[in-house]
Amino acid sequence: MRDEIARLHDAMEREAYVTDRAMATAAYLAMTLHKPLLIEGHPGVGKTEVAKVLARVLDAKLIRLQCYEGLDVSTALYEWNYAKQLLHIKLQEGTAATTREREAEIFSREFLLERPLLHAITQADASPVLLVDEVDRSDEEFEAFLLEVLSDHQVTIPEIGTVRATHPPHVVLTSNRTRELSEALRRRCLYLWVDYPTYEKELRIVRTKVPGIETRLADEVVRFIQHVRTRRLSKTPGVAESLDWAQALVTLGAGALAADVVDETLGCVLKDEADLRDIRSAVEKSGVDAFVAEGAA
Amino acid sequence: MSGEGSVVERVTAFCRVLRERGLVVTPAESVDAVRLLEWIDVSDRMELHLALRSLLTTRREDLAAFDALFAEWWRVSQPEEQRSRDRKSVPKARLNASGQVKHVDAPALALSRWSSMSVASDDEGPAPLAMPSANESRAKKDFATFDSDELGEIERLTRLIARRINARRSRRWKPARGGNSSRVDLRRTIRLSLKTGGDIVELARRERKLRRTKLVALCDVSGSMDLYSRFLLQFLYALQHAFARVETFVFSTRLVSISEVLRRDEYRAALAALARSETGWSGGTKIGASIAQFATDWSRLVDRRTVVIILSDGWDTGEPEQLGDALREIHRRAGRVVWLNPLLGSPSYKPLTRGMQAALPHVDIFAPAHNVASLAALGRHLGL
Repeated sequence: MRDEIARLHDAMEREAYVTDRAMATAAYLAMTLHKPLLIEGHPGVGKTEVAKVLARVLDAKLIRLQCYEGLDVSTALYEWNYAKQLLHIKLQEGTAATTREREAEIFSREFLLERPLLHAITQADASPVLLVDEVDRSDEEFEAFLLEVLSDHQVTIPEIGTVRATHPPHVVLTSNRTRELSEALRRRCLYLWVDYPTYEKELRIVRTKVPGIETRLADEVVRFIQHVRTRRLSKTPGVAESLDWAQALVTLGAGALAADVVDETLGCVLKDEADLRDIRSAVEKSGVDAFVAEGAA
Repeated sequence: MSGEGSVVERVTAFCRVLRERGLVVTPAESVDAVRLLEWIDVSDRMELHLALRSLLTTRREDLAAFDALFAEWWRVSQPEEQRSRDRKSVPKARLNASGQVKHVDAPALALSRWSSMSVASDDEGPAPLAMPSANESRAKKDFATFDSDELGEIERLTRLIARRINARRSRRWKPARGGNSSRVDLRRTIRLSLKTGGDIVELARRERKLRRTKLVALCDVSGSMDLYSRFLLQFLYALQHAFARVETFVFSTRLVSISEVLRRDEYRAALAALARSETGWSGGTKIGASIAQFATDWSRLVDRRTVVIILSDGWDTGEPEQLGDALREIHRRAGRVVWLNPLLGSPSYKPLTRGMQAALPHVDIFAPAHNVASLAALGRHLGL
């Protein structure tokens, strides 16, 4: 293994992120090849966390763009500061400046509000980490525009001209696959699929993130969740749910899974009424122990 | 095939093999693959594997095919003949159309019927501008009762209606002249105010751009349904420009995506190509299993801006619960679920089959699709 990759792997682990070789390799290549990293996976498997951890490891600034349907240039890239512009025009009243001069003045950098994408390419000192979160929730038109920014690391503002990145950002995109992303965007990126963790990996995650947890409880929580994931649910719990649950159980002072605590706290794991009903009745029928046993590694 | 110097050649050759087997690898990616070698430990097989995989795959569905091809290609110690023999056992990637078709069996016959029917009507003459009233009777005639030489005329009519269906408003903005749906555009207003020393005299306005809905069509091509499916698809295909995206699937005993093929080729050529590569199929319809397969594998195509259209007569040989469950899931995600049943065109028909009974609670619109008039009516339900 290349030393740099091993070091990145260890650094990510030190930041309390349980990682693996595939992830460390992809993150390392994204930085050395200056390519965006597209991370796909089910909700709650720690995709967003990758960007946050990378920023900490690199000691870089994290700039986040949360995508949603209808996201447009004025929210993602830049917007003019209209209030300031109006004020400026008023103050200039009576001076000899021509309309053309005034126009040039109020449509200059000083009056520009930087939104995440512009912010990410105008960093003076070092490359930031740009997180484009849940890119699948933006629409196709925005995706095309994003592609332009990502491929050239530059942005054209009609009134100002082209703004080129001094320090190209390290870009991480995440997607929950609620929509198929365009082939062009995919081609531009390195690809990483994050699956639900194995029993061993999830146990490590739970024990890292919930420090006070008893060994037995951690083991049972993970087995229980691993078994729940094998069932057909409308919302399969991710790692985020395991952690919430483990934390809740620790707070309640539970040392192991028992029928009553499971019943009280199952809402941490299942966020859908029908799922909750299914699992509750299954637990009731077979008992918590059988449920845990079936989740054996 | 050994020594440090040949790694570059091997990687280049590997990219070529991936391409031959249906994974898309662009020249730029091949270049990157070589460039990548100086950054990793090429003697570490796992590292090379992970690095190339992150670069050369673009979606989860490619991973299995990539892993298999990598394992095969990197067995450097084996002689060439051995390797080429092994190659045959490797699964094809889904991106490649011919690879995709290889797994297809059931809709074969139906597709070949489609494409052979289409040949005669290759192009339309000067098309009339509105739906002529002389065609009224034809519009109401069931597709199944047309002679094959009349089908070309019907296709033309279908396309004509499709063109008249309007797109909808989106959430994006464009400059506007006024009107109720527009809002003030501050950026342009400020610019205009310069002329008057900052006093805002004239408000610039903007309005929503046309919204583009997405369509997913799931068409039953078993038995008598393929005729109706053919017209529905023809109709949707002609409507394509009004939608952000049209995804098409056909099913009989299993579900097959044909969108990729339809996108790439001209419509008829695509169907013909699909049909040619098909051989042998067994009868029966498994609507429940096919729809469930869609709900599991393709649910990412469905969101609030998606209209899901299912065309089938609802005669299922499987379990109706499966159909109900799958539809409930799709209905939860979709903007609208439309079930088209050509039998509904007959006045005496009642949706009493167990499949139909399980499906109806999760369907927003239940409509016929047996003639041109019913397709025209369908247009109303396609905008979100």
